[in-house]
Amino acid sequence: MTKKLGVAAIIMVFMVVTIGVAMAEGKGNARKGKYLFRKSCRTCHIEDGSAKDLSPVSKTQADWQIIFDNTSKLQCKEEWEKLSEKDILDIHAHLWGHAFDSPSPAKCK
Amino acid sequence: MTQHKKYVIIVDAAKCIDCKACMVACKVENNVPEGFWRNEINVLGGEDGSLRTEFQPSQCMQCDDPSCVAACPVQATYKKENGIVVIDPEKCIGCGNCVTACPYNARYRNPVKRIADKCDFCEDRLDRGKEPACVVTCPTKTRVFGNLNDPDSLVAQMIKKEKLIRIAAPHINTQPNIYYFEGTQLLDWAVTPMLPGNINMPQNFWKSKSSSKEG
Amino acid sequence: MSATKTQMISRRKFLQLSGALAATTAVTNPYRVLYALTRDKGEITPDEIREVFSACDMCFNKCGLIAHVENDVIKKLDPNPNSLKSRGMLCARGNAGVKQLYDPDRLKYPLLRKGARGDGKWQRLSWDQALDHAAEQLDKIGKEYTRCGFLFMAGTDMQSTFVHQFAEAYGSYNVISHESNCLLSRNRAFLDTYGVMPTPDVLNCKYVIMPGSNRFEALVTPDSMDLMTAKGNKSKLVVLDPRFTKTAALADEWYPIKPGTDMAFFLGIAHVIISEELYDETFIKEKTFGFEELKEHVKQYTPQWAAKETEIPAKDITRIARELASAAPSAMVYPGRRSSDYEDSTQIRRSYAIVNALLGNWDQKGGLQVPKKIKPGSMHIEAPFYEDNPDDRVDAGRAQMMFDEEGSFKHTRDAVIEGKPYPIKGWMTYKTNPMQTGANRDKTIEMINTLDFMMTVDIAMSDTAWMADLVLPAPSYLERQDPLSAFLAASTCSGVITRDPVVPAMFESKPVFWIVKELAKRLDLGEFFDFTVDDFRKAQLKKIPQVAKALKEDGVYNITGPSFGIHKGKPFKTRSKKIEFYNTRYKDKGIDPMPVYKQPKTIPENHFRIVVGRNAYVTQSASTNNSLLWELEKENTLWIHPKPAIAMGIKNGETVFVKSLAGKVTIKARVTKETRPDTVYMDTGFGVLSKGLTNIFGKGACIAQVLEDKADKISGNMAMHETFVTVTKT
Repeated sequence: MTKKLGVAAIIMVFMVVTIGVAMAEGKGNARKGKYLFRKSCRTCHIEDGSAKDLSPVSKTQADWQIIFDNTSKLQCKEEWEKLSEKDILDIHAHLWGHAFDSPSPAKCK
Repeated sequence: MTQHKKYVIIVDAAKCIDCKACMVACKVENNVPEGFWRNEINVLGGEDGSLRTEFQPSQCMQCDDPSCVAACPVQATYKKENGIVVIDPEKCIGCGNCVTACPYNARYRNPVKRIADKCDFCEDRLDRGKEPACVVTCPTKTRVFGNLNDPDSLVAQMIKKEKLIRIAAPHINTQPNIYYFEGTQLLDWAVTPMLPGNINMPQNFWKSKSSSKEG
Repeated sequence: MSATKTQMISRRKFLQLSGALAATTAVTNPYRVLYALTRDKGEITPDEIREVFSACDMCFNKCGLIAHVENDVIKKLDPNPNSLKSRGMLCARGNAGVKQLYDPDRLKYPLLRKGARGDGKWQRLSWDQALDHAAEQLDKIGKEYTRCGFLFMAGTDMQSTFVHQFAEAYGSYNVISHESNCLLSRNRAFLDTYGVMPTPDVLNCKYVIMPGSNRFEALVTPDSMDLMTAKGNKSKLVVLDPRFTKTAALADEWYPIKPGTDMAFFLGIAHVIISEELYDETFIKEKTFGFEELKEHVKQYTPQWAAKETEIPAKDITRIARELASAAPSAMVYPGRRSSDYEDSTQIRRSYAIVNALLGNWDQKGGLQVPKKIKPGSMHIEAPFYEDNPDDRVDAGRAQMMFDEEGSFKHTRDAVIEGKPYPIKGWMTYKTNPMQTGANRDKTIEMINTLDFMMTVDIAMSDTAWMADLVLPAPSYLERQDPLSAFLAASTCSGVITRDPVVPAMFESKPVFWIVKELAKRLDLGEFFDFTVDDFRKAQLKKIPQVAKALKEDGVYNITGPSFGIHKGKPFKTRSKKIEFYNTRYKDKGIDPMPVYKQPKTIPENHFRIVVGRNAYVTQSASTNNSLLWELEKENTLWIHPKPAIAMGIKNGETVFVKSLAGKVTIKARVTKETRPDTVYMDTGFGVLSKGLTNIFGKGACIAQVLEDKADKISGNMAMHETFVTVTKT
């Protein structure tokens, strides 16, 4: 039992690391990410919405990275769990890639 | 106490960037036909490839002793009480005497209306409570317009405070009402007026004035 | 019949008249239209006279204006004195706006190409036919080549946002703006130094050094006017320019710097400021990153070294550095606007940004500022995602750090011609004219010839429209309703402006909003355009009712309050959260983290460097055919210095050949000392192919025909000063 858990933990750690590397290299599809961000996040994170209005330029790249590294701590973690790994990479590519200190800050949401 | 107005313009040529806004504004406001202008920007330099260093706007000087008025055979051109020299389109016969009589090259013969034409400080605009088109449109506010007889006007204060000059025409003093700041370098462009009786009209009289002094 | 006797004509009559004129423009003098509009006092009752606010569109500045309208005919455009940004002025182009409206050369109805591209054979279509055809092409190309196989390019216009929205709904992210032919490398450099593109407070500046910019001719409001006001307040202006521009003429000092060496000049300035410790130590410590690296880096760039590169004496470089420092923080290197000059134009602008940081002028009176802005609301569309689309833009990866939402015209054009990484077969342009403004015209033609379909929406038959398959007529800015536009300007004059129709749209012209909405309907994308411009504007104004009130009452909303001292203690939007002398992101990407000077290429023997510029009465190619402005410049000329001209026996006014690797043109020479002996120049916007521009067709030469298409390595901005030409007698 403990052994199994250990293996799972190792796999988990490995997965986080892989996603982390992929994120840093910008492997996600930012175009798809923009669409997914609108569809999945902007339902609430919108002007006069139930959560804080968000766009890529709301945060720095470092701040976005903290969010993506800690999605389980977010209030909307259940929403995050619905997303596939690829979806998260894509959303990351959009938000991180167009963050306010990024080389190409987003003009619109 | 009904003192007459005396409209003048004070030009600070050092501010002129030769952008031609005044020329186009005037042309639209007054329907000046292609090839003609009621105002111009004189340029110091530019001939023989030299550097252009000063840009000096000019237009009808609304002279107190206007040679154009003296030259008109039918009294179509006259000076109004507000100081503006105007042309009565009903009386003007388009003879062109006034055009050559002006030492400042401020008049032209309008080929559409077939009468003389020149700057009238945009009298239509003044009637609507607006300043002349060239004055308001200027990016750097090179021209200041106003009534010299109003001691509170900016022009009256500037006349007192600033060192201003008027551009003298050779052989004649028409008492012009456009003032320039001292230090203006372009002073020699006025010409000797050709008054009636002189049948030697300039060759290019019927042709258009060129839009600029270059080339 | 004298003009004053002419009856006031009705708009209907005017239309007939201008239609008749259009048919015979080649032999009709342009003043005839104005004649037809001659005012007849006494015929008009006061209620037929209107004064209407609008915003000028003769260039990008959006100056406030008041239209004087009599019987639905615009008689005169005057400056709106309420517009703080435009300082209550309207330039020659602004005044000539009536001639953009009442121009017999305007496009009047949809046209379909009948002959070969560029032959000028057209068939008139109804709007329904035209839109059906366009929608069919959009659908076909989208299906065959993916949605990204259709390219969109919209110029600087308040309705361009709708073209972008349409592209998004349609599913193409191949959208380019005009900016990569203009200022992207400047934005790149300042963004990568300050995390933002600041605006210069020229008005309160005591010492302005202006490299290359020509603010008294290439008018930017309020900078152009503020520069003159500052001059009156004894501010000093130093101009570096290979040409003796009118800005140079009115400057305190002019240096005909060797083209392409501006970075050497500013590295030399940085050397003096740092070695003589003329900077504000606290500012450097608190607000900047990488000072020690910069100090070490600029040790090599002495004024003596810079003098050899720039041909500006070392003692002047040293003196200017000291004068700048003593006037600091109200001293600046003017950031300029168009920066499409060299292959390292971003790094050149980095050197300007760095000297500004050494002067500590950030957020200071008379320095570089980021004024408060107002953010209008918006109306976002929830665009669909097309799974078959490629991963990225067609020009992706061709420059080191391209702006995603601007793209690069040069790189996109190359990609379209190569068909790599994927084919693009459709192109829609709106109010932009890359045939004239994009270097290497032959290559633009080559690009167009690879396309299956090209459509252009514009006011007149520009050279770009001339090459299109479908040409759709748009109304001028005086005939349409636009969304709000918020603008930033230093010296406390940011604001918001908008437009409503001053007069009804003429001919069959339709705004681009209506066009994309109609196309969307036909493509089953109607849900993304289920609103009107009015709805859009209401959404923009929702949270800012004060703006709506001001626009109605004053024609402009001005943001008041100081534009400096408002960012104290706030972090910069850079990686280090400071002003970056040293850019670590550059380092990571293999780009020089600090600007390293590279000598411009040596001009080959018997060649000249050709440079691009402007005067105050043309807006590149958009206004040269305007009858009122055309009178001020009927054709362009080649500026050439007397020294080489005499050596080659070229006389003033003589026609010469100008030839480069890109192409060859004929043009009249203007022999003048107003350019360096090694540099030639011509205005943009002549030598057109379009016979629909009747004033300028056959006049002068097209500079895009001789400019080679190099690009700034970092931003992908066009590099237009890297071309060498020969000049020979015809």
